[in-house]
Amino acid sequence: MTSQRLLAFGLKFYIVVFFAYLFLPLIIMSLATFNDSRFPTVTPWGGTTLRWFGELWHDGGMWHALSNSLMVAAGVLVLAVPIGISSALFLNTVSSRAKPFIYALILSPLLTPGVIIGISTLIFWRQFGVSGGIFLTVLGQTTFIAAYVMLMVMARLQRFDRTMERAALDLGASQWQMFRRILLPYLKPAILSAAVIAFLQSFENYNTTLFVAGYDTTLTVYIASQVRTGLTPAVNALGLILILITVVLAVVYELKRRREVAAMARLKGG
Amino acid sequence: MFRQLSARFGSPVAMAIVTLLGMWLIMMVTLPQLQMIEYSLRPNLLPAQIGGPDDRLTVANYVTLFNNDIHRAIFLKTIWSSVLVTLLTLAVSYPLAWYLAKVATPRQAALCILLLIVPFWINEILRTYSWFILLAFRGPLNEVLLALGLIERPIRFLSGDAGVMVGMVYAYILFMVFPLYNAIESLDGNQVRAARDLGAGTLRTHRRIVIPHAKPGIATGCIMVFMLAAGSYAVPALLGSPGSRWFTQIIYNWFFEGGNWNQGAAYAFLLLVLCIGFMSLVMKLFKVGLGDIAK
Amino acid sequence: MDGSVSLDQVVMRFGDFTAIERSSLEIHSGEFFSFLGPSGCGKTTLLNMVSGFLTPSEGQILIGGEPMAGVPVNRRPTAMIFQNLALFPLMSVYENIEFGLEVRGVNKRARREVSERLLSLVALEGSGDKQVAELSGGQKQRIAIARALAVEPRVLLLDEPLSALDLKLRQHMRAELKAIQRKTGITFIYITHDQGEALTMSDRVAVMSSGRIQQVADPMTLYRTPQTGFVAAFVGENNRLEVTVAERDGERLTLDAGRLGRLQGSAVPGASDGLKAGDSAALFIRPEQLRLLGQGSSGPALEAEVEAVHFEGAWLMLETRLVASAERLRLQLSGEQARGAAGRLTQGERVRLGYDPAEAVVLPNDGSPVVDEETGEVKEAANVPAA
Repeated sequence: MTSQRLLAFGLKFYIVVFFAYLFLPLIIMSLATFNDSRFPTVTPWGGTTLRWFGELWHDGGMWHALSNSLMVAAGVLVLAVPIGISSALFLNTVSSRAKPFIYALILSPLLTPGVIIGISTLIFWRQFGVSGGIFLTVLGQTTFIAAYVMLMVMARLQRFDRTMERAALDLGASQWQMFRRILLPYLKPAILSAAVIAFLQSFENYNTTLFVAGYDTTLTVYIASQVRTGLTPAVNALGLILILITVVLAVVYELKRRREVAAMARLKGG
Repeated sequence: MFRQLSARFGSPVAMAIVTLLGMWLIMMVTLPQLQMIEYSLRPNLLPAQIGGPDDRLTVANYVTLFNNDIHRAIFLKTIWSSVLVTLLTLAVSYPLAWYLAKVATPRQAALCILLLIVPFWINEILRTYSWFILLAFRGPLNEVLLALGLIERPIRFLSGDAGVMVGMVYAYILFMVFPLYNAIESLDGNQVRAARDLGAGTLRTHRRIVIPHAKPGIATGCIMVFMLAAGSYAVPALLGSPGSRWFTQIIYNWFFEGGNWNQGAAYAFLLLVLCIGFMSLVMKLFKVGLGDIAK
Repeated sequence: MDGSVSLDQVVMRFGDFTAIERSSLEIHSGEFFSFLGPSGCGKTTLLNMVSGFLTPSEGQILIGGEPMAGVPVNRRPTAMIFQNLALFPLMSVYENIEFGLEVRGVNKRARREVSERLLSLVALEGSGDKQVAELSGGQKQRIAIARALAVEPRVLLLDEPLSALDLKLRQHMRAELKAIQRKTGITFIYITHDQGEALTMSDRVAVMSSGRIQQVADPMTLYRTPQTGFVAAFVGENNRLEVTVAERDGERLTLDAGRLGRLQGSAVPGASDGLKAGDSAALFIRPEQLRLLGQGSSGPALEAEVEAVHFEGAWLMLETRLVASAERLRLQLSGEQARGAAGRLTQGERVRLGYDPAEAVVLPNDGSPVVDEETGEVKEAANVPAA
């Protein structure tokens, strides 16, 4: 019995250590933002300052990269969300001997390293005279982000009761009216979630973007190059801002998702 | 296939579905990969030579890897280190996944999952960068170890592969925890209790009951983490040193420093083959299919 | 507004499997018509052909005299109440009811007028703004009816809509459905495996089995003069005895029942016309047609042994086994007989059973379905996969 208890205690201890391991680096990085030191560190502490936020504000390269990132993300949303929805609808509707093959093809970008997606996109478009830049970044990122969208939409689509479709048609709706009034509203929560995830994936992507961005540096590529070259705590300031935004976004998203799950459970239960 | 789609959604929507899906699968997924392979089989030529007598298919770009000792060593090291990263991640994630799925109360589990998800919404570059600060020569980890008297002079964590591997485990752990958690969660708790009642110890219970049940999750996690590790550019670029280069960095150099895209394409294809090979191996060993992985 | 429905030589095949054998049928405008049969008999397939979800392999369907071939689901003058109701969960009650009008481009004011009128028809005034999830089972049922009626169908198709409700509500909804049908005058085509539903609500019933329409008649006729062994066994309860025709005198038959000796029964006009001496046949005696005979009484009687006595309140159910042949017979005793038997009869007791040969029907032995003694389930003659 005591060995059981020891194990249970060990597991609890492990969980605490694990979460410390998860958060400590991020906390230290955030703290380094406020250290009045030429290099980003917390040791030694040279005094508390906010000047790195000011430096960041005046960093033109950062602003340019941010605007590139936003443009890319917008492009990815426009392409990847409709493609992802289409793939889910396709897989949910079609029964054919070619389907397992198409399914594997649809999933393949998720199992391909990001650098290879970047490289193949870069090579493919060279023959059309298109070189690295925002356009290729959008295409490269869409290649795999569309598959994420497909998975998220598919998860909800599989729970759809198709009698709803029959009922709508029976009441006189055309296929299009059924699609717009019944199926799309049903899929809406999944589509919105997928859009949030797609935006984030695009904004944060590094491995693929690195190869296809050309001179249109995105914010993530910019941060990486800052870390490797002219490193100052301004990077930490930027990191801290991004972390705060993502944490707020993540918590809101997660809580909203949980409310939806709870609401679904209530609908089913009652 | 089109008939089924238009019967359900009407022709305009069916047309849109087929067009979008076709465009994606052909123009983004399939053709670029094929083009990359084709590229890797051609020599790097000046524009004037293209279409000339030297422009023919060759495996020379693949031979380069076998003749270049440094590249071959880095290739093998990338494989070995990625396997190690995968195993480490599995070892670190398993107790956590077990705790979340079977030990924690639903409230605890919900909180832990939220805590797990939040850091992973944060940029991979930033997460890696945070380790760069932590592991710096004059960074907090060294300071703490010095203050505790555990070391006498600071350690250069960032000069070898260890820093890279720690960073990778950190970066990709979620891709292991969630498949594991999902797999273990579906295990009937009575099976575990029954094993306990029959006198099986903790280790044996896990080895005989939990791990076999969690196989699809383990396979999925391993495939994802290996793919991410072997294909990572960010982590070795930030946490590595010139002495601890990763295969992706060699590929990058072929493209943007060596200016030899054909050679780069060959290396990239080898990396892809490596990942596919690892995936097939794991799927065979664990007897799981593609459908299990997509969950 | 002609809401008649005709099936003209209709056949439905799925690959090698024939779900509906060649069938023809006339359903009159304004009729409450039911298809009754066990699951897998093809009744849902028939309904789907009328609504347009399935196209018959052969033959045609006419609604109001117009052929429906090539008319898609959304253009047919029919509306369906689905087994799970299929209310749209993301829409309010108003939106649900008005959906059919909305997709036809009817303006909002006119739509609201219709939905208010229908809500009062189904006695749910003031619930228009509710969400579907807030409704009780019975309320959902009524909203589904209102939604279907909103598109002013000539024919309303109901696919076992009451099966999800509890017994009490189900019985209440039977009366309500019947009332709505009378008020609206719309043709109702009702599908069920529950004979109680079919017999209480319908003007006429088609009994189906193995993709074949066995008999079409009003409930009384179905019960009194079943045309096939399946109908006799499926509609109401029945005891079945295997016999051979010994003598025929008009409709009156003398039967050779093997070890039971000679029995009497009546031929069913039509179905039993061809029965003659020497033919194998089945004698059906309903439980309520059997009665206990006093010990001293003379005349033909069946000797049986009591196996179980069930007190059911209004009546007494007696399970017996014939002494001569070991076949089981069920008796339903009421009134004096029940009072006399209650408490007096116990297991193992010998009784003498009698019946009126004019009420017991004799049908040709088509070897078709038998009622499973253990479960009371009707077994199909052929193995029919569930549709």
